[in-house]
Amino acid sequence: MSEKLYAQLIATVGADFVSPIADTSGNFAAALASDFYRVVPRTPAEVAEVMTLCARHRVPVHPEGSGRRPSPHSRDRDRVFVSTRRLDQIVQLDETSLLVHAQAGVTGTRLQEILAPRHLTLGDYPPAVLAPSLGGIIAVRTPGKSSARHGFFEDAVVGVSAVLADGRTVHTRVAPRRATGPDLLRALCGSEGTIGFITSAVVRIHRQPEARFASAYVVPSIEAAIAAVYLALREEAAPSGIRIYDLAETAAHFRGMPIVDQVAGKSKNGALMVVGTAGPTDLAACDRDLVASAVSAEGGETADDDAATLWWRRLHHGESTPAAPPTFQAMATPRKLAATYHAVLNAASAAGGAARAHISRFDADGAVAFFSVEREGKPLPADATAPHDVALIELCKRAATDAGGWLPGSRAARLDPYFAALRANLDPLGIMNPGALPE
Amino acid sequence: MAMPVVDADLLAKELYSLLGPKRVSIGDTDRDTYARDMWPRMLLARRAGQPEKHRPTAIVWPEDVSEVVAIVKLALRLRVPIIPYGGGSGVCGGVVPLYGGITIDTKRMQALRSVHNDELICDVEAGLGGERFERELARRGFTFGHFPSSIYCSTVGGWLATRAAGQLSTKYGKVEDRVAGLTVVTGRGEVIETDGPNRALRGPNWTQLIVGSEGTLGIITSARLRVAPAPQITIYRGYEVDNVNDGIAAIRRVLQRGLRPAVIRLYDELDTLINSFSHKTEDDNVREDQRVHELHRHAPQPTRATGALPTWPTPPPAPDGVLDRLRLFAKNRVGNLRKDAMLSGLGHAATFNRLADAVSSKVTKRGCRLIIGLEGSRIRTEVEAALTFAELEAAGARDMGEQPGLSWLSHRYAVSYRMSPMFRDGAFVDTMEVASRWDNLPELYQAVRTAISRHAVVMAHFSHAYADGCSIYFTFAATAPADNLPAAERLYDAIWQDGLAAATRVGGTISHHHGVGLLKAAHMANEHREAMAIYRATKASLDPAGIMNPGKMGLEAHIADASIPVRSQTPTDAPARFPLDEAKP
Ligand SMILES: Cc1cc2nc3c(=O)[nH]c(=O)nc-3n(C[C@H](O)[C@H](O)[C@H](O)COP(=O)(O)OP(=O)(O)OC[C@H]3O[C@@H](n4cnc5c(N)ncnc54)[C@H](O)[C@@H]3O)c2cc1C
Repeated sequence: MSEKLYAQLIATVGADFVSPIADTSGNFAAALASDFYRVVPRTPAEVAEVMTLCARHRVPVHPEGSGRRPSPHSRDRDRVFVSTRRLDQIVQLDETSLLVHAQAGVTGTRLQEILAPRHLTLGDYPPAVLAPSLGGIIAVRTPGKSSARHGFFEDAVVGVSAVLADGRTVHTRVAPRRATGPDLLRALCGSEGTIGFITSAVVRIHRQPEARFASAYVVPSIEAAIAAVYLALREEAAPSGIRIYDLAETAAHFRGMPIVDQVAGKSKNGALMVVGTAGPTDLAACDRDLVASAVSAEGGETADDDAATLWWRRLHHGESTPAAPPTFQAMATPRKLAATYHAVLNAASAAGGAARAHISRFDADGAVAFFSVEREGKPLPADATAPHDVALIELCKRAATDAGGWLPGSRAARLDPYFAALRANLDPLGIMNPGALPE
Repeated sequence: MAMPVVDADLLAKELYSLLGPKRVSIGDTDRDTYARDMWPRMLLARRAGQPEKHRPTAIVWPEDVSEVVAIVKLALRLRVPIIPYGGGSGVCGGVVPLYGGITIDTKRMQALRSVHNDELICDVEAGLGGERFERELARRGFTFGHFPSSIYCSTVGGWLATRAAGQLSTKYGKVEDRVAGLTVVTGRGEVIETDGPNRALRGPNWTQLIVGSEGTLGIITSARLRVAPAPQITIYRGYEVDNVNDGIAAIRRVLQRGLRPAVIRLYDELDTLINSFSHKTEDDNVREDQRVHELHRHAPQPTRATGALPTWPTPPPAPDGVLDRLRLFAKNRVGNLRKDAMLSGLGHAATFNRLADAVSSKVTKRGCRLIIGLEGSRIRTEVEAALTFAELEAAGARDMGEQPGLSWLSHRYAVSYRMSPMFRDGAFVDTMEVASRWDNLPELYQAVRTAISRHAVVMAHFSHAYADGCSIYFTFAATAPADNLPAAERLYDAIWQDGLAAATRVGGTISHHHGVGLLKAAHMANEHREAMAIYRATKASLDPAGIMNPGKMGLEAHIADASIPVRSQTPTDAPARFPLDEAKP
């Protein structure tokens, strides 16, 4: 890296906050050929200054959230990694409008901690969804960031401040809704730092619910469970969480509990459905009852709610689960959900393995199925390396997409030329997180 | 970029070869008709007998997406602008062909192609009119839940292009909240589809970048929209609160408790006053204004039984729209003032507003009226209604029973048919819909009201409420004699300039649902500031040749600089980017 840029970065953020990143491969020759630096600005103005400097020197800028993973970027050129770690301020908590304006480095978890004593919350999102920094949550889109009651997390974002490639800072104006052209912040959300470097965001928050109920149901099949969910949603129930476990998944998650036998006793395709409702007491109870009657219309019945409360504690209060993390997830629209589920199970067993799943994160768009793929009774981790394991997982993933499901990280490929043009226009030098999304 | 001068006859010939002669027009009547929408500023000029300043060179009526592609490709080749045109009910001059060009009327693309029962999604063509769309859905047991006052004269594509809001938006959301995917012919002459579960796709949300772009990026030819099961019950009520601020607080409580009434409207003192006069004297009003009632024969109204859907009524309902109430108020109630007295009242707006402030609190003695309605599935709506009413009462609102709510419901489309009498009587009327977070909503109300009341009589209601904020809908009226158009336009421009500047100053948005068009183009820079760069980059991506509805939305800097673009941007003083009109005056 040119000494000049290095000196300018230090002048901008201070020597303590510009540090070289060693080549984790231990390849010192490569490390010498190019410089990777981590810069940790403290203010959005410093971010803008860093961007301006990097643009002047044509050095790519890669935003970094709270994670400090070694960078996968190739050492073919100098790069600057800009961490949001010190952008950790709550700019404003507007309890009148139920909005919080926080800087990009504040994690969702931290925000929840700040909101909780005030009886406020970001919404019914599992802690895992809220663990990253706010900038990361918004910039990187994954299908799991949704809740039946509070919707897709990104839709709660009502304003964003971001630095563009040329160092200009944009602040999208905050209003509950507007009709003043395209929703410009939707270009920044999900674009993984290629359109702008998000420095802060204004996000909707909610009052903590007055009441919560968790109930469990035993249903004759996955289809019946899915049908019951959409029947209840159609009756306008707005549960705070819904999850459907197939029989094998029930056994894996509730080992030793009576619910396993109840599901098995229902039918060989039996499924467990757990549902949380929340809100004003009457409404939360009403939603619970709407779900119960939808379940019974689909041939299911109410079970002991132990499994449901345990599920909720695991999801929201960090209680451990005996089941290994799922191998992969696929999103599907309501119509394609059951087909996607069966396609994966069939593909796994045809290849000599097995698969089980739970389905969760329901909203109007559909839901996410979390599959555990097994070989010889052992669940495969997401990052399995043995070639035959990788092949089995790939097979299952292909079955999911062939059946109409979507894997995280899909793109609307036919819109790529438009995206490329949009990027080229805002970032003619190509320095905004190159490599993050296809160019 | 120099543009070749295109001859209208040549253009017509090319278009005939694409669509045949019947779906292409270069006739004067059509060119006049398609020269404007319902922007009141243009109605002033019309009333003064001014010829249309900007007319399209040709109007076309394509029937499917491939024809739209062919037209856009032709426009690219000849370098002429394209102006999408739905119902022409826009109120911001969005369809004005500033540089001539081809106006594409979408109304022959009007099929409701399918309704997916299990996904609650329908596939509908952009040119379908609002009323027919709702009727078709109702027949199948669904509703889109979008009921703008202009439902009879606006199209699905126009709604999407302007981010429109219906009267029941508090429950169903604005149109942008209900769109799952779009088919669009971009300015490159290509078809794109933006469908796909948003949360499973990486990259920008193209649907939300195209919705609201008012024809500047492409032409929406069809859309996948979310529908809801038709409501099983509707519950309406009226309440009174002491003043606007109490009303705002009451609405906020309801919304922040997680309750979603379909409609919640709070009228400020003057609006409430006029409301109460007209409600007391419905029978009188029916007799007193037969002319308006004649108009009503063409204005199907909803009834209780049909809920939000209009039916053809006999006998016609009583006048109740804001404008009518204003007229009747001025004309009949305050010491039998007549037309000239009304005009004189409107002519001294500041005094009138002050007087009205004093009078309204004395006369109504009750403060402000609040209308609330819930609809949906039977069980949940009943529970939600009980909670909502309890919340309102806890906030100090007084229950006035069902009647005010039902009265609003049954007259809620009437306002649309009452603009003309005001204009005929030598006045004008317009509406300004701003919005902000709850935190500064009272400030926004005061700031905009003060700004407008220097020039016009102004009243407001609060509707379209969300957990984080609300929209304010100002109605203003002023005198503008037909024989002095420049003075009328100056007054009109001053109202908008001051009103929107006030909204921006206190952190509100300049438009909640009417859009930008030409009217607010000059204010876009203040609204979005540096973020306009993202809009411009999106424009460069989807419409690199700049042929899509040029001159709108403040995209072109020279337009954005002018306070009111139309006046300063005649074809002759505009840069000769699209010199079509100069070639064929
Ligand atoms: C009496 C009255 C009442 C009204 N009430 C309401 C109300 O309650 N709520 C509300 O939101 N608005 C209301 N409006 C405003 C108006 O009806 C809306 O802006 C409506 O959405 C416009 O639809 P349209 O089909 O008439 O569009 P047009 O006026 O034809 O066009 C509006 C803009 O959209 C563009 N456009 C149209 N179709 C397409 C397309 N298919 N693809 C791309 N661009 C397109 C046009 O170029 C133009 O810029 C009212 C207007 C009137 C006159």
